[in-house]
Amino acid sequence: MRIIPFPGRDDAGPDVGLDEIWLSDLEAALNGSGESPDADSWRQLRDDVRALAPPMAPELERKLGERIVERDARSASKQPHRRSGWWRSPGRLRAAAAVAAIAAVTGAVVIAGPWRAGTRPIEAPSNPPATSSSAGRAESSGVSAPRGATHAARGAAGEPSASASAGAASNAPAFNGVAAPPGRVQQLAASITLAATPNDVQETADRVSRLAVSDGGFVQSSHVQVQQRGTSEANVALSLPSAKLGGALASLGQLAPVRAESQSLQDITNAYDAARQRLADATAERQALLRALSKATTEGQIGGLHERISQNRNAIAQARSSLQAVSQHASTAEVEVTVLGDAHTASEGLTLHRGLHDAGRVLVVTLVVLLVAAAILVPLALLIVVLVTARRMWLRYQREHILDTR
Amino acid sequence: MSRPVSSSDEHAPPAIARAWPGTLDAEVFETLFRECGADVHAYAISLLGDRSAAEDVTALAFERLYRSRARLDHRRGTPRAWLFAIARNAALDELRRRRREPRYELEDELAADRDCAEALEHVERRATVRDALARLPLREREVVLLKFHGQLSNGELARALGISESNAGTRLHRALIRLREHCLQIDRQEVA
Repeated sequence: MRIIPFPGRDDAGPDVGLDEIWLSDLEAALNGSGESPDADSWRQLRDDVRALAPPMAPELERKLGERIVERDARSASKQPHRRSGWWRSPGRLRAAAAVAAIAAVTGAVVIAGPWRAGTRPIEAPSNPPATSSSAGRAESSGVSAPRGATHAARGAAGEPSASASAGAASNAPAFNGVAAPPGRVQQLAASITLAATPNDVQETADRVSRLAVSDGGFVQSSHVQVQQRGTSEANVALSLPSAKLGGALASLGQLAPVRAESQSLQDITNAYDAARQRLADATAERQALLRALSKATTEGQIGGLHERISQNRNAIAQARSSLQAVSQHASTAEVEVTVLGDAHTASEGLTLHRGLHDAGRVLVVTLVVLLVAAAILVPLALLIVVLVTARRMWLRYQREHILDTR
Repeated sequence: MSRPVSSSDEHAPPAIARAWPGTLDAEVFETLFRECGADVHAYAISLLGDRSAAEDVTALAFERLYRSRARLDHRRGTPRAWLFAIARNAALDELRRRRREPRYELEDELAADRDCAEALEHVERRATVRDALARLPLREREVVLLKFHGQLSNGELARALGISESNAGTRLHRALIRLREHCLQIDRQEVA
């Protein structure tokens, strides 16, 4: 007869509830702390179960041993590098990576942020515009629109006229946020007052001049007064292409804190039309005089016509000059820049107000960048987490399922 | 390198396998292999019933443990518990891959045991336990094998199975009750 010394505390079968004492007895018996016939039986059962398994094959034992020794040697060669590093902890490594990523993003934002535009050096233009060529500059001004008569006048005059100076109204820049109405000719002007430290007045004035040149304009006049004590001041009158007035004012505002700024607009369509009409009339008169001259027969008639043609030539030149002057007004904008070197104002503007402003912008843009990055990375990370979790759950289900199918 | 020994042979809990060593460097890993290698192999061969598959699972378990040593967390169990959890997953993956019933190759080993001139009663008792184990459903058999080969506490057993501790206790309780029933049933059949 076989002897199965199985502990038999519970004879009710597997459907009864868990017996905590039974389990703790089992744990105690297997740990060797239980001293009772039941504990001996549990240990014997454990030994019987363990004895059923054959020992590990010597070949496998040798292979595994070799593999571990090989790993031992391989890791030993890496140990000096890895042993003392604080980054050995994966948690710290992740934290360091996160900090580095945030620092990199913040650094990139600070370095490449839009507020840096105000401090970037102004590049000198490779081809400074010729101030005498008003027509050429006005070509790109895009101010106001000539009407049909203008084209006729140009054809009659046979040379560049107002239409060449003024672009289409549809291309006209917005002034103070309001676009010029089609067919109107407008003259723009602005004045801006910048606050700087007394020592920076000269440098700021120079930067204003360089900015005007880089924007395709020129300096009409400049007056800089620097005092050792008291208020220093610089007045710079600029002539800029009308189309670039808005951008130029924005750039000027980045050179130094703006204390005051004003812009004005004057409609000169009537003057433009009148000048153009005068030119057209004079041109038409010249045509008529030339036709009359061709039909003149007497010396008296010919002499009189020559005199009138000569007067008419002067009238045409005057009308053309007048039209060019009006076009010049339309295509260029005059900007009065005043740089005030006041210690109190400059320190207030540059240090406190502007510093806070810049800090706020840095924070806002940093937050926006982080928000955009998070908007991309968070869903991506969530998707990866979901996929990894789903894969793990599926693998676990498969493993558990195999236990139920056997 | 020292030969792996079954921890029950020495009747003392393995030192490194039971206590968290701090880091699982090569030296600790070698000690772990010496203390647990035979048990992992015994567990795998008992579950799979196939010597070559058990060898693969044993090698794979140590391989995976070494690879994941950086992620080992002492709050989630001892290295031995980790090792057996990995071995269990590897064994179940092996079963999943094979898609066939595990062969029970313990007959020959038992015959060899018989040659050792042990007492007939001792041999017959083991034969009964072996047959009773073979009759257990795989899910219950793996609990018994993990408990006895892995020598895991109920908490470690629960973590290896991926269930709660009370659930693991219930499962172990039922498996042992059923094992006893099978043993008694086989015994009665032999007597009859």
